[in-house]
Amino acid sequence: MKTFLCWLAAVVAVYVMQTSFLPLIFFHGIGPDLLLLITVSFAFLKGKRLGCFMGFLLGLFEDLASGGFLGMNTFSNMLMGFGCGVFSNRVLRDSFVLPIAAAWVSTISVFCLFEIILFLLGYGFYPLAHIKYKLLPMLCYNIVFAWPVHVLVRRLDEYVSEKK
Amino acid sequence: MNRVRREKNSQRTVWLLIFVAVSVFVIIFFAARGRFAAPVSSQAVTSALAPFQRAISWAGYQVHGVTSAIWEMVSAYYQNEMLKNEVVQLRQQNLTAAEYAAENERLRNLLDYKQAATQFDLMAAQVIGREQATWTSMIVVNRGSSDGIARNMPVVTEKGLVGVVTEVSPNASKVQLVLDPRCSVGTLIQRPESRVAGIVQGSIEDALKPNMINIPKNSDVVEGDTIITSGFGGIFPKGIMVGTVKALRDDGGGLLEIAVVEPAVDFQRLEDVMIITASREAPPAALTPPAQTPGTETDRDGNFIKAEGSEK
Repeated sequence: MKTFLCWLAAVVAVYVMQTSFLPLIFFHGIGPDLLLLITVSFAFLKGKRLGCFMGFLLGLFEDLASGGFLGMNTFSNMLMGFGCGVFSNRVLRDSFVLPIAAAWVSTISVFCLFEIILFLLGYGFYPLAHIKYKLLPMLCYNIVFAWPVHVLVRRLDEYVSEKK
Repeated sequence: MNRVRREKNSQRTVWLLIFVAVSVFVIIFFAARGRFAAPVSSQAVTSALAPFQRAISWAGYQVHGVTSAIWEMVSAYYQNEMLKNEVVQLRQQNLTAAEYAAENERLRNLLDYKQAATQFDLMAAQVIGREQATWTSMIVVNRGSSDGIARNMPVVTEKGLVGVVTEVSPNASKVQLVLDPRCSVGTLIQRPESRVAGIVQGSIEDALKPNMINIPKNSDVVEGDTIITSGFGGIFPKGIMVGTVKALRDDGGGLLEIAVVEPAVDFQRLEDVMIITASREAPPAALTPPAQTPGTETDRDGNFIKAEGSEK
């Protein structure tokens, strides 16, 4: 329960930070997706099963809190958690490059997934404009925030593990 | 046995994941079409997050306010520096513009004089130097022999006589001012009733006020009389303004008197002058007929013009 509360507090804090403080540095309304970064880092640390679960929870939380398409973030974060979790045993977790590369790949993957889903939902397909105005700024932000978020997740994981 | 159980668990997990993923995927479409919603949970999450978001948002705005204030202060500092530089530049430009305006006015006056004084061939020159020790007596102008300047050419401004060229080099000339004690200018009183002749010389006593000497004691020269060049001596053409009589005093010998002359030219502000390179006899001024007494008007031939009502 304590573990859950710790993670919940961290996620709430990060999400509140993302929605209330970081808009000050948003570029044309686009900012970092910190919950996706948490999912990715957590998945690298804990594996595909927990990573997928964390992605599901964070995505659902984001969907419920943001009021966007219900399930979009749930679905995408869950897949990212699962995908990154698959590689959890094959990567060097302390590497500086790992979270940045993972943020890069996961951001592009989520973007593609969103594009496909929105296209399937009948909202059209405008990849070039979306790449320019949505993907590239978000990619930059996520790359910048990837390492701090990864460190935060690792520290929190260590803290929670010690408590146990 | 354990291995078999682990594989079964793994397979079950994968199937569970696939099931959840498909479910979520389907939910996306249902939710997007408005056939599925989670209002209660959504409201609960939003309500739970709202206080935190409000607090962080407030803190964010405070931080933003502080950073904005700091940024504005920094930008105000740099703006101030830029404005200071701009003020300096504008002052310099203003100074230059004022200089140009003054020069323009001087040159315009000279041009007017040049157009009016048709009997002279004039060459404009700029004062480029004053002799340090005797700066009220000699000046250097930027015209020389290469410009056709020669010794003994008179130098004037639109206000009056300045002096005479005494030394000529290829690109500059020295001009002896009428204030110089060595300079002698043949002059006369312009007033028609007087026309007393004299010589204007620089005064050792007062470097800014030359004297008109050789005035007979019984002459009718009075203070305020205008002095012009007489044309005697061949250097200075006749009719150039020299100055006015400021005061009269005895020569000391008893037969003559001296007039202290207020020069027409302000030698302290001498910047542009004109050198008379050639002079001709001044054309006679056009005569203007005097006003005719009403009732006695005549035509060109001298015949009386009768008033319209008189024949009747």
